[in-house]
Amino acid sequence: MSVLGRVRARPQATAGVALTLPVAVFFVVFWLVPFLAAIYLSFTDYEMAGTPNWIGLANYERMFADPGFLNSAWITVVYTVCTVVPTIVLALLVAVPLSKPGRLNRWLRALVMIPAVMPLAATSMVWVIIYSDHGMANTLLGLVGIDPQSWLTSSDLAIWALVVMVVWKSMGLFVIILTAGLQALPGEVYEAAAIDGSGAVTTFTRITLPLLRRTLLFVLVISVAGSMQAFVPAFLLTGGGPADATQVLPYYIWANAFPYEHMGYAAAMGMVLLVAMVIVSALQFGFLKGGDE
Amino acid sequence: MRAGTILRAVWLLVAVGFMLLPVYAMLVVASAPDDTDLRGLVFNGFHLPENIGVLFGEGNLPTYLRNSLVLCVGTGVLDVMFSAAAGYAMAQLSFPGRRVLFALVIGTLALTPMVLVIPVFLIVKELGWVNTFQGMMVPGMISAFGVFLVRQFALGIPKELLLAARVDGAGEFRIFARIAVPLLKPALITLFLVHFLAQWDNLLWPLIVANEQELWPLPVGLANFQSEVGVTYHLTTTAALVTAVPPFILMVALQRYYVAGLTFGGLKR
Repeated sequence: MSVLGRVRARPQATAGVALTLPVAVFFVVFWLVPFLAAIYLSFTDYEMAGTPNWIGLANYERMFADPGFLNSAWITVVYTVCTVVPTIVLALLVAVPLSKPGRLNRWLRALVMIPAVMPLAATSMVWVIIYSDHGMANTLLGLVGIDPQSWLTSSDLAIWALVVMVVWKSMGLFVIILTAGLQALPGEVYEAAAIDGSGAVTTFTRITLPLLRRTLLFVLVISVAGSMQAFVPAFLLTGGGPADATQVLPYYIWANAFPYEHMGYAAAMGMVLLVAMVIVSALQFGFLKGGDE
Repeated sequence: MRAGTILRAVWLLVAVGFMLLPVYAMLVVASAPDDTDLRGLVFNGFHLPENIGVLFGEGNLPTYLRNSLVLCVGTGVLDVMFSAAAGYAMAQLSFPGRRVLFALVIGTLALTPMVLVIPVFLIVKELGWVNTFQGMMVPGMISAFGVFLVRQFALGIPKELLLAARVDGAGEFRIFARIAVPLLKPALITLFLVHFLAQWDNLLWPLIVANEQELWPLPVGLANFQSEVGVTYHLTTTAALVTAVPPFILMVALQRYYVAGLTFGGLKR
């Protein structure tokens, strides 16, 4: 057996290396090296033209005196909280009844997928029309007596216009994920609860929510991460404006790095965003793990 | 009980109705004869075929569509091939460097593109790939998600099956191609779908690396659509509709795999 084992080990090693080599090279060239380069660049004054000079922590110090950065960081916090919380709550309110069997529900589950697969660029173009002066938003609000608003050009409203679009866009996805999660829950628990005379609300808070915790954690983590790195809605709907009112951090990083070529500074802000994302993810895992006992 | 069922059905119809309202608005405006009515509430005739005809007769939409298809299918196929090989090997073969590679894959799952785009752009520039298809495609060719997905799935392949093939004298590459790949098929279809949809939506990277309109995929093209001569609101909406069609077809054809891809990680114990 040991001889056979040795004979088998060599071809496995050869095949293993051969099958993984392209991927290993790729990850080193396009992930590991860039990541290390980004750390290095964040300590330099690199500006695309010219050579990078080591400036220590100057980029990080500059950030906390830069109103543009502080504004973007704050907008990202507001944007993340205000997209994640309503999306998950609304998706749950739809997914719980939708996960029940029945022909109507089967049809509705198929329909919910349509907004979920809409490409974000196409979605954004459609919402530009919806938010236009004579678009659907103003028309529908007019029916209940609300005056027309300039959704995308008012610095008070633009961020909320973005939030509503993103909530709509992610809701479709999360309804699908939560519905699949709910359908995977064991039916016997519900039968037992029904026999014990448990009401709908009690069943939801005492049985559904705890059993669904893993799916909820997954949805929470991907939606928080998605919102913290969201670039496309701000780029397509408002271009970060008006007056920087929708300039989320990823947009500010992109603008600094590419149109303005402040690559060292942008790399430092990218690092701050990365660290913030890692901390927030760790907190979410800790928070939901803590509830296990 | 009966009242509860009816109430639930009403709530669901209202909620799903609201979720479909913007899609309906898209259909209405995309089918409009002109720009005069942007409310998106009432159909004013059905001019969708003519509008699509206009977009395909003049302007750059066909170019954007072709570029997007090349980008998404090309990198999708490559991702599936490389991830299948690496994911299988990491799950089932013992070879030097396996742990290091796994750590690398897991580590990259956590990185945000906002950190990587700057140095990756500098690398692509160094390679002379700015404004080329390879510049747009290669950095997004393999996803850590793909390798991870295949690895998790490949862990479920029974060891005895592989052992039996080895005893019968099959080589490792033959075992991979003839035994593992067919078993991995559902994971590979899911990966292709997830990859395709993500690339179809990728705006940031092509925006950075491709300045020439000839190379633009749909998201970049749509972002600049309003500035194209003669393009108007209703035609922009028609273009958005055209952009939504390929993902929609894929989703209808591969619905099961789509849900599997979305819920990967969410349901796993």
